[in-house]
Amino acid sequence: MHDAPALLDVEGLRVRFNPKIEAIRGVSLRVERGQTHCVVGESGCGKSVSALAVMGLLARGAKRHAAHMRFDGQDILGLSERDLQKLRGDRMAMIFQEPMTSLNPAYTVGSQMAEVLVRHRRVSKQQGLDRAAELLAKVGITAPGMRLAQYPHQLSGGLRQRVMIAMALMCDPELLIADEPTTALDVTVQAQILRLLRDLQQELGLAILLITHDLGVVARIAHKVSVMYAGEVVESASATDLFANPRHPYTRGLLACVPVPGTIKRGEPLGSIPGTVPRIADGFVGCGFRDRCVHAMPACAISVPSRDDGAGHRYLCHLQ
Amino acid sequence: MSIAIEVRNATRAFRQSTGVFSTDRTIRAVDGVSFAVETGSCLGIVGESGCGKSTLARLILGLLPVSSGEILVEGQRLADMNRRERARLIQPVFQDPFSSLNPRRRIRDIVAMPLQAQGIAARDQASRVEEMLIRVGLPGSIADRLPAQLSGGQRQRVAIARALVLRPRIVVCDEPTSALDVSVQAQILNLLDELRRDLGLTYIFISHNLAVVEHISDRVAVMYLGRMVEQASTDDLFAAPSHPYTKALLASVLTPEPGLGIPDVGLGDLYPDPANVPPGCRFHPRCPVAEARCAIEVPLPRDLNSHQIECLLAG
Amino acid sequence: MRFDVRRVAFGLGVVIVVCIALVALLAPWITPQDPFVQNLEARMIPPIWMDGGVAGHWLGSDQLGRDYLSRLIYGARISMLIGTLVVICSGAIGITLGVIGGFFGGRVDAVVMFIITCRLSIPLILVALTVVSFVGSSLAVVVFTLGLLLWERFAVVARTTTMQVRTLDYISAAWAAGCSLPHILVREVLPNIVHHLIVVATLEMALAILLEAALSFLGLGVPPPLPSWGLMIAEAKDYMYFSPWVILVPGVALFVLVLGINLLGDGLRDRLGAARDA
Repeated sequence: MHDAPALLDVEGLRVRFNPKIEAIRGVSLRVERGQTHCVVGESGCGKSVSALAVMGLLARGAKRHAAHMRFDGQDILGLSERDLQKLRGDRMAMIFQEPMTSLNPAYTVGSQMAEVLVRHRRVSKQQGLDRAAELLAKVGITAPGMRLAQYPHQLSGGLRQRVMIAMALMCDPELLIADEPTTALDVTVQAQILRLLRDLQQELGLAILLITHDLGVVARIAHKVSVMYAGEVVESASATDLFANPRHPYTRGLLACVPVPGTIKRGEPLGSIPGTVPRIADGFVGCGFRDRCVHAMPACAISVPSRDDGAGHRYLCHLQ
Repeated sequence: MSIAIEVRNATRAFRQSTGVFSTDRTIRAVDGVSFAVETGSCLGIVGESGCGKSTLARLILGLLPVSSGEILVEGQRLADMNRRERARLIQPVFQDPFSSLNPRRRIRDIVAMPLQAQGIAARDQASRVEEMLIRVGLPGSIADRLPAQLSGGQRQRVAIARALVLRPRIVVCDEPTSALDVSVQAQILNLLDELRRDLGLTYIFISHNLAVVEHISDRVAVMYLGRMVEQASTDDLFAAPSHPYTKALLASVLTPEPGLGIPDVGLGDLYPDPANVPPGCRFHPRCPVAEARCAIEVPLPRDLNSHQIECLLAG
Repeated sequence: MRFDVRRVAFGLGVVIVVCIALVALLAPWITPQDPFVQNLEARMIPPIWMDGGVAGHWLGSDQLGRDYLSRLIYGARISMLIGTLVVICSGAIGITLGVIGGFFGGRVDAVVMFIITCRLSIPLILVALTVVSFVGSSLAVVVFTLGLLLWERFAVVARTTTMQVRTLDYISAAWAAGCSLPHILVREVLPNIVHHLIVVATLEMALAILLEAALSFLGLGVPPPLPSWGLMIAEAKDYMYFSPWVILVPGVALFVLVLGINLLGDGLRDRLGAARDA
């Protein structure tokens, strides 16, 4: 199944912000063309940092290492800032949780969108605006001509996120990295935005790396899923396989925590995971989840085996 | 069953200035809302941002006066109570455990604050604070810490302890788990549910998350642009939603079940704006089944198969 | 990074302010001579390191033969005292107005803003000069005049920070808990804005010290023979061409103190801001 090279192939990514603590401890991700790969985990597990590390957008002072990091077969680990900038916004684009912080309040929607194309493709401003109007219509915005002339603060949250998506699509990217794109939105709007992402994927053959904490979102949109905990991918599998047959105790615990209408009677407690995420300092060995795990055994403090069921379902655990 | 809290036709209007030369607009964040909650039960209030659910919470807590209508707590008018009486009956738990605790005060003082406001002796305060902290599952050693030293889940437990230390009758939970991680959310929900049964509390549980509301509430009310468009028992509402908006809300719940795909809620991209309420039925510009008369006629609340709904067409 | 310019600056500010404050407090015990005793036979003695310096007058003597070091030390007392009292007085006015305006908003806030605008329209030095020349110069008059004039920064900062705090849920929780208004203002709001106000206090203290020196220089501040640094500069100006040290010594002292207070204020702003965000 690894015949065709993945669009994004990251192996053994490590990120540290301060000398003592590693935020990301060996993350591997493969995003195939035209597919959605979800990275799911709770706050502080390192899912957003992983995305930023791939984009080369980490804060100054952060150190990034990886066995390899390839985009369309090309090494992007050693790229200069200049070459990375050419890649970002062009062949790989990113959208964030709060669109207001990533749109410039001082410029109209149209001029910001056109600017992306003018910068990467050296077209005229008018061509940029035409493309912007076309994309706003594509992301389901009525009266795109009017929206082009508006400022970000004049748009509602749902519209802003649509504008962000349209802006990310300006240069026909092959990879879209979406960091919690629907978390700040209302539930009905969330469903609309997710549908939009799925439709765009089918139409444009877009690969999507979607970062989220919401297992419901993952279940409905992902082809592949990586579950992160304390800076590691503890389980990765196809979405159908992961939800039908979760192997890692953390994944199972997480699934038990989510209330699903009609499955748990009122008055009965939801499943929950005791304890809190540990601080992983240097020299930490064994399983990061062992202190919260009901199946923990002495071996968990020494090492964690990486298991693979042969069909691409991998997880880090002693349990068979 | 006795009624713990009754809200009668409550309205809250805000004035919004739109510029130097234009006249102010009036926004009715809550516009003629009525409901009653039975003692010991939990009413879930769901709705999207701008529907007025948080304003309603503030009205019930007495943090804002109603513009018109009235709120009765155990038969007594909320407006006639002084702050101490009100505090003994109703307490809040807010969404963000990072802004709901004063960062400069120790946990002990934060939880003791309602006791102090009642003028209870310092000796009694200490023992009740300690008891309450244990009750919400916190170690006593936490009492001398500052909020910044606690995790989000621990902070929310502190907020719950503060709300319950006076043994109120009613707790207004305004999105109490929305800022928390999934695993912590489950812990807090379980704690709230357990406390309600053990202490005989009445909850008003406000959330945008229908799955959470379904899990914890006995009855659910759906708000849209300041009105309650549908009320029913939780089972009835989830089994047979009647209002088109409730249907859309239920359809957009994403449960972790792969293969179901992403639902088409069919609401279009006209988002509701509380400053610009449409005439007729407020929901008609987004409603997938709206007819011409929906833009003119205002739907009045009516009963339909044990649901109370505001829709001209349903039924 | 081990070496940090801002840390060094903050440390320097702390050292300067603490040293001068200690000197001011301990003045009666550390002055070599009585600062008021005149000795016409020992006038205009240069400092010890210059030609003609005399042991016992480490910084020389002034035109009336008073020991310059002793006067400088007592002058630190006056500066610190005026700085502190003015800040207490103006802080009380400004913080009260600002917190009330910021907390209640609406019409109350409009009134507070109007008062602040009025104060900003007052020419500070001219009013201070006029008041002092009418009422007569004394320590108390200088303190009250400056105290009544230098509160606007307190008010502005207290107002904006209160506006940010009042919308937070812990204020709502305090209302819902049945707390009284004074309790909420003093126990919930004030502790969360005080770190901003401390920074303002340092700025205002430095300004008050400079203004006192200016008023004293013009003969409208602290009355002689009290040893104020401003007064020392004024008395020295006739002799500065022949004995420049008489003006340099109090001038440098004033500069160092104000610099120290400002460095301290900048450092506190960095630190308290960071502590709040952590």
